[in-house]
Amino acid sequence: MNRRLISAFALLALASPATAQTINVALNADIRSTNPGVNRDDNTDAVVLHMVEGLVGYRENGAVAPLLAEKVAVSPDGLSYTFTLRKGVKFHNGAELTSADVLWNWTRYMDPKTDWRCRSEFDGRIGMKVTGVTAPDAATVVMTLEKPSALFLDTMARTDCAMVAIIHKDSLKPDGSFDKPIGTGPFMLGDWRRGEFVSLKRFDSYVSPPGDKRDGYVGRKNALVPEVKFLSIADGATVKAGLLSGALHVADIPDSDLPEMQKSGSVQVMTAPSATKHALLLQSRDPLLSDVRMRQAIAAALDLDELVAQASNELGKVNNSAIHMASPYYSEVQRQRYNHDPARVKKLLTDAGYKGQTIKLIANKRSTVPSFPVAVVAQAMLQAAGIDSEIEVLEWATQLDRYSKGNYQMMSFSYSARIDPAQSYNQFSGPKDTYPSKAWDSRRADELIEKATITADEGERQKLFDELHKLMLADAPLIFLYNQVDTAVVSKRLQGFAAWVAGKPRLWEVGLAN
Amino acid sequence: MLRFALTRILMSVPTLLIVSISVFGLIRLIPGDPASLMLGDLATPASIADLQARLGLDQSVPVQFGIWFGNLLKGDLGQSINSQQAVLPLILQRFWISAQIVLVAVALASLVAVPAGVLAAWKQDTSLDLSLVAVATLLLSIPTFWLGLLLLLFFGLKLEWLPVVGYVSIAENPIAGILYLIMPIMTLFLHEIGVILRMARASTLEVLRLDYITHARAKGLTESAVLWNHAFKNAFGPTWTLIGLVLGNLLGGIAVVETVFTIPGLGRLLVDSIFARDYPVIQGCMLFVAFTYVLVNLVIDLCYPIFDPRVTAQ
Repeated sequence: MNRRLISAFALLALASPATAQTINVALNADIRSTNPGVNRDDNTDAVVLHMVEGLVGYRENGAVAPLLAEKVAVSPDGLSYTFTLRKGVKFHNGAELTSADVLWNWTRYMDPKTDWRCRSEFDGRIGMKVTGVTAPDAATVVMTLEKPSALFLDTMARTDCAMVAIIHKDSLKPDGSFDKPIGTGPFMLGDWRRGEFVSLKRFDSYVSPPGDKRDGYVGRKNALVPEVKFLSIADGATVKAGLLSGALHVADIPDSDLPEMQKSGSVQVMTAPSATKHALLLQSRDPLLSDVRMRQAIAAALDLDELVAQASNELGKVNNSAIHMASPYYSEVQRQRYNHDPARVKKLLTDAGYKGQTIKLIANKRSTVPSFPVAVVAQAMLQAAGIDSEIEVLEWATQLDRYSKGNYQMMSFSYSARIDPAQSYNQFSGPKDTYPSKAWDSRRADELIEKATITADEGERQKLFDELHKLMLADAPLIFLYNQVDTAVVSKRLQGFAAWVAGKPRLWEVGLAN
Repeated sequence: MLRFALTRILMSVPTLLIVSISVFGLIRLIPGDPASLMLGDLATPASIADLQARLGLDQSVPVQFGIWFGNLLKGDLGQSINSQQAVLPLILQRFWISAQIVLVAVALASLVAVPAGVLAAWKQDTSLDLSLVAVATLLLSIPTFWLGLLLLLFFGLKLEWLPVVGYVSIAENPIAGILYLIMPIMTLFLHEIGVILRMARASTLEVLRLDYITHARAKGLTESAVLWNHAFKNAFGPTWTLIGLVLGNLLGGIAVVETVFTIPGLGRLLVDSIFARDYPVIQGCMLFVAFTYVLVNLVIDLCYPIFDPRVTAQ
């Protein structure tokens, strides 16, 4: 067959004015819904946050900054937050954003029927409680808290809370059920073919936040291409073929595939450290691991530099802290870490009366996390140090079930990104009787975390986090290994794309060269 | 024939009932539940219990089964926990995509493999026979995912003839739709050739050794008349049965091929639903697959008299 003839035939069949300017992004699974912060996962957040925006959002370094708000003023007692809305912001249906929209959205989110993931974060069940929301005028919203909280704005900016996205009332059907997101973002929903793709169209009347460049979820946010398509592709080999053929422009691939992609001249590899934490959990309620000397022995048995290099394909750096390395709270104290010390391991094992019992290490083989490679290298290091261990590979849902119930001895696990250190500590610290999934059950730690959630002063917070880190290293309830290095493989045609700490693709201010 | 068909359909009811009870029970025995997966690493026992209650998963398994079965009798397979779509339209939509690949691939494979199998039997132990058997064995031995990837690399990446990722419906754009389906169809086609060819060869060989074939030859009939008028009709029965089984199997799940070629078919829906513990979709898919299997084999049985008049639909 004539190659040129067939290629021309294929192009004729596929070409449309839009496809030439469509950025194709690979997702490892379809999104769950387009309802912000409700039926969601990481992929869902990544797509939806192109269409909707909140009052505040994360900057490139993880700090929180105004987004739909022009400015945020905090009262001296820390109880009242006044958001002044940016002028001229429009929803995708042309309506102008007012404080009434913010009030309507807040009422909807706090209604149990909405099923918003983060309702418990704001209704006092976990700690913070918003006692009132008022709109003194069309451009001002005042939110009042029961008690001061250093986490209020950070929680408002959280991606899993969909940034408390402000959507238009017409996003709902007449019966009150969700229809589609009519937000204020640079892209609007084009088409969602379940199991195939989500297509987003450029919102031509978008009013960008101020700034001369993109800055996380804030800063300049103009859409440069008419369409972005997120394609659901589960198979890693197909993703690689798509990238190399030019059919895909952005994809996240496992670290192990990076050398191969770097060798090919047709794509560029971008990396950025994220706040996702990879860890080895040690169950302190297990008869064997309840002895802190056993947990310390495990920590000392691991050659962390080697382990992280192997598991991350030499991309990651050892970080035993719960605070991500790009955080302003990542101090000298946070750099303190476990050291590989075989002699100490021997002593600790003898002191703990270890008799060669086998420790089961649970892992999964998802391609998006290094759970299995971490387990394999850790097992080899533990065996070398005289600690017998066995890997049990579980499918993700089963592992999550075991994690939720605290039903494990050791587990290779990854925590989703939390930018604020107190949020990060909250992920794994708490009373095991009430929350069996928590890895660290320490009253002192809980007190320090509680203080860090209400203290706004950065110096004070730093002291609290530093004390927490030292306490965690001594108690060894889990061993943080490293922060995920996000690796985006992108087409050489793509201009302006960059990976960043939140680990989610952003397709505004990104163009496609011909 | 109508009575036969109705009897067979009624006989399938207990099968489908057993399938639905076992799938319903087994999927709930696997650890992990949709609420935990939806809430992720920050889930608390209270939030999980809350969501389970809203999804109706807090009730006992027999009660859940009773509700599901009651709705099933009304033709309602429920709603997906994951996508919140109605399950039956979702399955039908995905089934149509899988069916167009499977039906074309099996039809083409049959058209090639059956004559090739008969030919191989006719020329038994010649170089032609050995070559055909070797090719069939090779095609049968290659896993479909690997074959798919090879095609993807060759026709998609190297020659750049066919699109590598994505899917376009034939109804939306017939030419693009066909281009996206060529490689998945080719993968199944090549794999199934091996299966059908070997069966066609074996059953023809068996028939060629029977006395009535010797008698036909002794009558002075030409070899082609012996082969096609006397041997083939009798030898085709087992191959036809196998084609039915292959069709039933493939219609129920070509998840691997669909995953490699990013085809949003029924197999991928089922696999994704299992990973997400989307119980209503898993139950609906399994029941649908079982029903399809029964139906395909019924059609196969009803077609027997066309090839062999001795068989009647009684």
